[in-house]
Amino acid sequence: MMKDILVVEDLKTWFPIKSGIIQRTVGYVKAVDGVSFGVRRGETFGLVGESGSGKTTLARTIMRLVKPTAGKIVFDGVDLTERKSKPAKLRRRMQIIFQDPYASLDPRQTVYSMLKETMQIHRVASGRSSVHKKALELLENVGLSEEHLYRFPHEFSGGQRQRIAVARALIVNPEFLILDEPTSFLDVSVQASVLNLLNDLQKAFALTYLFISHNLAVVHHMSDRVAVMYLGKLVEIADRDAIYDSPRHPYTFHLMAAIPVPNPEIKKEEVLLTGDVPSPVNIPPGCRFHPRCPYATDRCEQEEPPLIENDGHWVACHYDIDFKGGARSSRIKRRKRRRV
Amino acid sequence: MENSEVGTTKSEWAARWADLKYTLYLLRKNPLVMAGIFMTFFFIALMFLANYIVDPKLANPAGYPEFGGNYPFQRSYVWSKGNIINWGPGIHLYEGPEFFLLGTDGWGRDLLKMIVLAIPVDIENAIIITLGAAAFGTLLGALAGYVGGVIDEVVLRITDIFLSIPYLILALVFATMFGRTIETLRFSILLVFWPTYVRLMRGQILSEKEKSYVEALKALGAGHARVLFGHIIPNSIYPVLVQATLDFGSVVLTFSALMFLGFSPSPSLPELGNLASDGYFHIFDAPWLMMFSGLTMLLIALAFNLLGDGLRDVLDPRIRR
Amino acid sequence: MQVKEKEVILEVKDLKVFFHTYRGKVEALNGVELSLYKREVLGLVGESGCGKSVTALTILGLLPENAYVISGTIFFRGEDLLKKSREEMRLLRADEIAAVFQDPMTYLNPVLTMETQLKEVFMLDTNLLRKAVVWQKNHGGKIAFDDLLSGKVKIRDKSTNPKVSKGEINEMAKSLCVDILRLVRMPDPERILRQYAFELSGGMRQRAMIAMALARTPSVFIADEITTAVDVTIQAQILNLMRGLRDKIDASTLLITHDLSVAAENADRIAVMYGGNVVEVAPTVEIFKNHLHPYTSMLMKAIPDVKNPSERLEFIPGTVPEMINPPSGCRFHPRCSIATDKCAVEKPELKRVLKNHEVACYNVAV
Repeated sequence: MMKDILVVEDLKTWFPIKSGIIQRTVGYVKAVDGVSFGVRRGETFGLVGESGSGKTTLARTIMRLVKPTAGKIVFDGVDLTERKSKPAKLRRRMQIIFQDPYASLDPRQTVYSMLKETMQIHRVASGRSSVHKKALELLENVGLSEEHLYRFPHEFSGGQRQRIAVARALIVNPEFLILDEPTSFLDVSVQASVLNLLNDLQKAFALTYLFISHNLAVVHHMSDRVAVMYLGKLVEIADRDAIYDSPRHPYTFHLMAAIPVPNPEIKKEEVLLTGDVPSPVNIPPGCRFHPRCPYATDRCEQEEPPLIENDGHWVACHYDIDFKGGARSSRIKRRKRRRV
Repeated sequence: MENSEVGTTKSEWAARWADLKYTLYLLRKNPLVMAGIFMTFFFIALMFLANYIVDPKLANPAGYPEFGGNYPFQRSYVWSKGNIINWGPGIHLYEGPEFFLLGTDGWGRDLLKMIVLAIPVDIENAIIITLGAAAFGTLLGALAGYVGGVIDEVVLRITDIFLSIPYLILALVFATMFGRTIETLRFSILLVFWPTYVRLMRGQILSEKEKSYVEALKALGAGHARVLFGHIIPNSIYPVLVQATLDFGSVVLTFSALMFLGFSPSPSLPELGNLASDGYFHIFDAPWLMMFSGLTMLLIALAFNLLGDGLRDVLDPRIRR
Repeated sequence: MQVKEKEVILEVKDLKVFFHTYRGKVEALNGVELSLYKREVLGLVGESGCGKSVTALTILGLLPENAYVISGTIFFRGEDLLKKSREEMRLLRADEIAAVFQDPMTYLNPVLTMETQLKEVFMLDTNLLRKAVVWQKNHGGKIAFDDLLSGKVKIRDKSTNPKVSKGEINEMAKSLCVDILRLVRMPDPERILRQYAFELSGGMRQRAMIAMALARTPSVFIADEITTAVDVTIQAQILNLMRGLRDKIDASTLLITHDLSVAAENADRIAVMYGGNVVEVAPTVEIFKNHLHPYTSMLMKAIPDVKNPSERLEFIPGTVPEMINPPSGCRFHPRCSIATDKCAVEKPELKRVLKNHEVACYNVAV
């Protein structure tokens, strides 16, 4: 599958919980518990999930900031989970932008110093004048200018700091960019400009994005395909419009229904999930979603549904539920599915 | 583009200078801190100039051959010229033309001059010991905190052992072990003070390590050395600075305590603790000896303490920005 | 046609608040005008730095040390809150004006159980509890929080203190705690009471905060970004709860949020703030259909709408102004596409241009 720049196969990242004087492992936080998907070259792959879903851990695992417990990560044909792969070369092709612009920049470094350092690490440029020139070029690409070069992070607004983070990530000419909630901390108007910038950069540099966010409207705006994550597993993957207009998994449906819409005249149905977002320490048996799922049956409590494809649309649910009729009048059909 | 109130900075160092000016501004606001700063500067200036103000040869009791260099009091005046104060039977006081502002010590040396000569000794000690302990402790603490695992455990246990013993006793033990020259005494006291820095730095590193920018740097491909020495340590250094200034005072006191307890390399060494121990036996008849050397110790400790307090307030990241 | 004159419960007029900081004077509020009617939900919308939280804090009397109220009035029940003493404001906060803030973790005491914290709120008025116990004894059966709301026991009745034992007061407080937790839809309230703040999830903590705020049946309820820190599904639950409580609790709500969509679904009227001023106020449906102020319009266009996707989002050029050196005249004029010379000179006042619709702009086309 050469068109997939990134393939993740049954990836698991478990964090051991240690307790007692001798620090025995008493359990695991199964942050990522068997995730498989592929990202096509040039697309923006959106990943949505709430807190506890494991999406941030997934991003860190792919970036190899966290060691995976099991599974494979294949980037452009190269298996990253093999011990032999060199992280340094990899860092040039895959970069990440973090969520908190107020914490992801070293407060003691000026912008110039940050950019220079990255250039030094990857030997992109050296010598004061060429470093300076490249720095200016990068700043211009993200919509900043020379006057910002010698300032400290605290002198910038959140949106500007994210731009600096993007500039820094672009130094190494990556092909693949993971964006972990890049606009969550930003105001609406700033968010708009940062998203536009990301779109422009994607076209200019032929980038592939993995866009992670809990803000469904933003993901909708940016993505070509979207995956929904719940408690460490993917429950649905589909084209953007398919997922937003006709979701097939109950969790996705409720998620979409919970998004507030900026239109007061649309009377939304009260479709609410009961209970709280669960913690990945105690994962429910069977289908992870069954405790909160209004359609759950006994089968859901016992058997975990696999992620099965149906015409480009992947769903992990035993039943084929029609949500269109509203929460109460859904029909639960059982259908023979073909496994791909 | 946004309007900048700081103005365009032309280069890296200009930016850092502007940052420093902000620190100085904050410092200026607190009167106690300013007092501390002045006092510290005063003492440090004295440290360099002492040997020019007072002839160091005066410290040598053999410089007063006419009085034989015997221990009992030869001369003792306080505050008055030509006025004899009889402190008690059997103590004969000298009547002479000289006026000693703070009186004299057991050898008849002018106390004021001795104190002036003693200040550089003490402050030099303080600086060397504190910097040494801080440097060593910080490095070890940084490594323990960053690497973790076995190294961390081992370092922690060692510091535990050191910290479990009261510091003066520990100092005594080391002083006895290593001898009485100034260098060995310095080393002994350094061994007493370094564990605090290990703990301090380790704590800072542990929390700094988890921060987002460290992760970002790793994602960019920075190696461990660069991250630790170029980023984490510079961001964690401020509590160490503050602790160091506070420790100056403690070190002076500890060193003096050792002198007092009899570990001085030579009885005539002009050093505040030494001078104080001289006066110990005469605390009722000639209180000035112990009083003034003690007072000077207090002032030095106070100066550095205030400085440290002020630094801590100023460098608190919540108040900055 | 007869228009029923709605009663104003809280009125902020020309409020100017400055902060003194190292970098200079921060002009946080520049003449805020706001009216809160009885039993309505007013959405106060704006981006960071616009002054919405400062407005809330000023109303509550909780401004920090370096804040100065330069001018303005806040009228509540006929009195100017700005003229009240700290003690009077404290009593007001205990009784009449309640607030819930953004991050419940930091607002709950980590070393006390939920029961202690919740009971504490009820114990602020032991008189009321005494009366409740007496009522319960006289009438038999158990008194519930709902009864307090409906007035079976007069809440604000400051008359005699009947003799009631401490144990009974405690019992009463505890049972009211259970009631109120049920009111905010907490599962298994008895168990929750025994737990500590860190044992609860974000949504539950937020609900506990709401319970504590509503325990004293306030007339004004200020909700400052209460759903910003929680997940979308929990946010939906909490907003749904707020909507459900509206009818039970006879309070006016000031819903502060930066998310226009949240305001769209929950507020009756929306007031948009920018740069320390209220720039537009109108009923929700009206403001979405017919937004007049240029800032409001651009804000609307900057939100990605799932139902109406667009290729590029409109964004507002420039950044939110530094309040240390704010732009002269109308604070929005440097970023405004229809600004004229007058806008840079004089700040436009909030004027009624349509029925129920006020705008602060010179160049509005009505």
